[in-house]
Amino acid sequence: MSVGLRAAQGTATSSEVAVPAPWPVRMRDVVVRYPNGVTALDGVSLDLEPGEMVAVVGLSGSGKSSMIRTLNGLVPVTSGTVEVGGHDVTAARGRALRALRGEVGMIFQSFNLAGRATVLQNVLVGRVAHAPTWRTLLGAHTAQDRAVAYEALDRVGMLDRAWHRASHLSGGQQQRVAIARALAQQPRAVLADEPVASLDPPTAHGVMSDLRRVNRELGITVVVNLHLLDLAREYGTRLIGLRAGQVVYDGPAADASDRVFEDIYGRSIRPDDVLGS
Amino acid sequence: MSAADVATPVRAGRAGRPAPVPPRRPAGRWRAVAGWAAVLALTALTLAPGIGVEVDLGALARNWQNGADKIVALLQPDWSFFPRTVEPLLETLQMAVVATAVAGVVSLPLSLWAARTTNPHRLLRGAVRGVLNVVRAVPDLLYASVLVAMVGVGALPGILALVLFDVGIVVKLVSEQLEAADTGALEAARAAGGTQLQVNRSVAVPDMMPGFWNQLLYVLELNVRASSVLGLVGAGGMGLLIDAVRSFYRYDQLSLIILEILVVVLVLEAVSSAARRRLV
Amino acid sequence: MTDPASAPARGAARRTLAGAVVPPPRPARPGLRALSATVVVVVVAAFWSVDIAWDRLADLPSEVVRYLWLMFSAPDWSALPEALWQTWRSVAMAWLGTVLGILVATPLSLLAARGHGPAPLRGALRLLFAVIRAVPEIIIAIVILSVTGLTPLTGALALAVNGVGTLGKWGYEAIEGIGRGPVEAVRAAGGSGPHVLRWGVWPEVLPAFGSFWLYRFEINVRSSAVLGLIGVGGIGDMLTSYTQYRQWSTVGVLLVVVVVVTVAIDAASGALRRRIMEGARARAVQP
Repeated sequence: MSVGLRAAQGTATSSEVAVPAPWPVRMRDVVVRYPNGVTALDGVSLDLEPGEMVAVVGLSGSGKSSMIRTLNGLVPVTSGTVEVGGHDVTAARGRALRALRGEVGMIFQSFNLAGRATVLQNVLVGRVAHAPTWRTLLGAHTAQDRAVAYEALDRVGMLDRAWHRASHLSGGQQQRVAIARALAQQPRAVLADEPVASLDPPTAHGVMSDLRRVNRELGITVVVNLHLLDLAREYGTRLIGLRAGQVVYDGPAADASDRVFEDIYGRSIRPDDVLGS
Repeated sequence: MSAADVATPVRAGRAGRPAPVPPRRPAGRWRAVAGWAAVLALTALTLAPGIGVEVDLGALARNWQNGADKIVALLQPDWSFFPRTVEPLLETLQMAVVATAVAGVVSLPLSLWAARTTNPHRLLRGAVRGVLNVVRAVPDLLYASVLVAMVGVGALPGILALVLFDVGIVVKLVSEQLEAADTGALEAARAAGGTQLQVNRSVAVPDMMPGFWNQLLYVLELNVRASSVLGLVGAGGMGLLIDAVRSFYRYDQLSLIILEILVVVLVLEAVSSAARRRLV
Repeated sequence: MTDPASAPARGAARRTLAGAVVPPPRPARPGLRALSATVVVVVVAAFWSVDIAWDRLADLPSEVVRYLWLMFSAPDWSALPEALWQTWRSVAMAWLGTVLGILVATPLSLLAARGHGPAPLRGALRLLFAVIRAVPEIIIAIVILSVTGLTPLTGALALAVNGVGTLGKWGYEAIEGIGRGPVEAVRAAGGSGPHVLRWGVWPEVLPAFGSFWLYRFEINVRSSAVLGLIGVGGIGDMLTSYTQYRQWSTVGVLLVVVVVVTVAIDAASGALRRRIMEGARARAVQP
């Protein structure tokens, strides 16, 4: 289902910076158990193809947030293996783990920007794994790093706000800057953890369209956690349903009926499961 | 009895029903009583003859005439003394500025080390905090008196004493501010593959800067006040002069010195509160 | 694929001849520029002009090590009983100074609070607090000792005067910070000015005041050690004389005593302050 999406690459961007090949994700029997005894993931096995746009759906507490965080090692797995782009995340430590994270962009529900820093400073955070430490410490970014940051900001339409304080922006604008920060990593995969849960409906659609364009125009693998079924259906190419830490649905997103969602949620559909517009 | 009846007419209207009774007063009131009793007892102890602060009213009365003369002298500043105060006053300001600058450079990395969110290593963090707790426990003038013995009289021991004092305060306040701040941006930078050093520099530092400048302004004010007396132990500045006029009982000159300190501190306070409004 | 919120501006950015996008020029902030230039000039001038033999700084690390060795390699514990006794005198000085400061500052802070005291008096009191705070307590002590002599009472009085400056300011700020609700409730029930203070203001500010008092005591404990330098007694007096006679093994013991006592009092008072403030919060949530 992802075949053909790569064709868009190169024509849509005038960037001189080459877009790296997207990464697949492979999870085998992944179990995550927290020190307090809660089992967040209970034997998850998945294969995500390069260039897919995967919507992960489930109620809060279903383990979707833990799952997405195992993909860049923010949450360590208790057992099982996670491979991203052929690299074993579970075994990676220190420098290797940081290099791997540098290839995987992440977007958060609460934007997670440094509020008192400028938009540009925030986007340049995406370059840390690709820059020597002394350059970050002195704030001496290379011309190329700056060019990548400008390009990323332009892609989400925020370039003219480059010198604004991040905290002075609206929620939707902040999330766009966060997407630009992920794009500045020149990532091979982008993870988004409930990226629109704090936004109003029109803004939510704007941000989701930005993510879709990242996926279609740059061909980057995108994994996005959602709890709203209409967004999952509209923007995902593939849908994964999680309940109590287990995969209960895996199939094309467009085909998923309300019955499927009722099965994933384990209860009937309620009005607040839908964003509307 | 009749007065009570007049004061509570409601109860009369409810005749027949039992009078409302509140639940029992919660236990634990004795703690407040015990607290006040302890305060009183301790105060009495500090006033007790032989073991506390002796209050000799007779001596006070005998000294009163002498003291009154001094107070009168205080009210008549010796303006001709002004030229001699200029240089020490400048030195006091120099010491305060230099100490604040040095303290700022030293406490920026130490603050990041002392905060849980920016330094995950427990041992290192505990060591920084422990040392600074001890550093903070010693007053600046005691540092100065020991440092004067170490490096000789002059502005240098004064500056060093102020730096020690400042670093203790700034690191405590700024690291508390860091720990109270939202950690989302730090997580994002970690997810982008940054080392702890890079995460701190690119996210934590820009976010903490306004608060950090604020604390530096605060210690600059403290420094001006403190450095004016460090000279009492030989550590340079206005204090040397204070020591001199005090041993000659020249309270008219002391009064001019106090006035000058007052003006400088109040002006600095006004300037820094204006700067502070712009920071936030 | 309607995208109302993000449609404008995308791709419309300026480009260089080579086709790379560039952001709008960084906004010039002349005020900030002037401010940072001033700060740099002042700091550089201070470093440049201050009369310091910088070469002595090179010896500093070895000197510090040498003196630390002198102080702590063979501490002279025989001075400990006297040190503890003098520490008690310092703490007593601090305590008495705190109590006297509270007794004077509390009514004054009520009078200085907006809405409770007469306006002209308010201005005068606030100026008085600011002036007191600007003068170091050791200078206050020097002034007072002309009447009271070189006794611990001088120290206590100096701390009390200085405490009036800080406690008065914190006090009126706390009183002005409480909501109008409690005050209006007492007024609505027909309460007079004193009633408002007793039943509207006092219960609201008591936890904050308790916290200020303890904090002021912590400050006074530190300051009382300093006041010894001018000879009013206590641990500071002892420290000065042993430093002057360069009895380093005793100075080390005295410093240890100062640090341990200060840290212990800070910890106890800090725990008490947290309990007071938490209790106040619990009552606010669960009336």
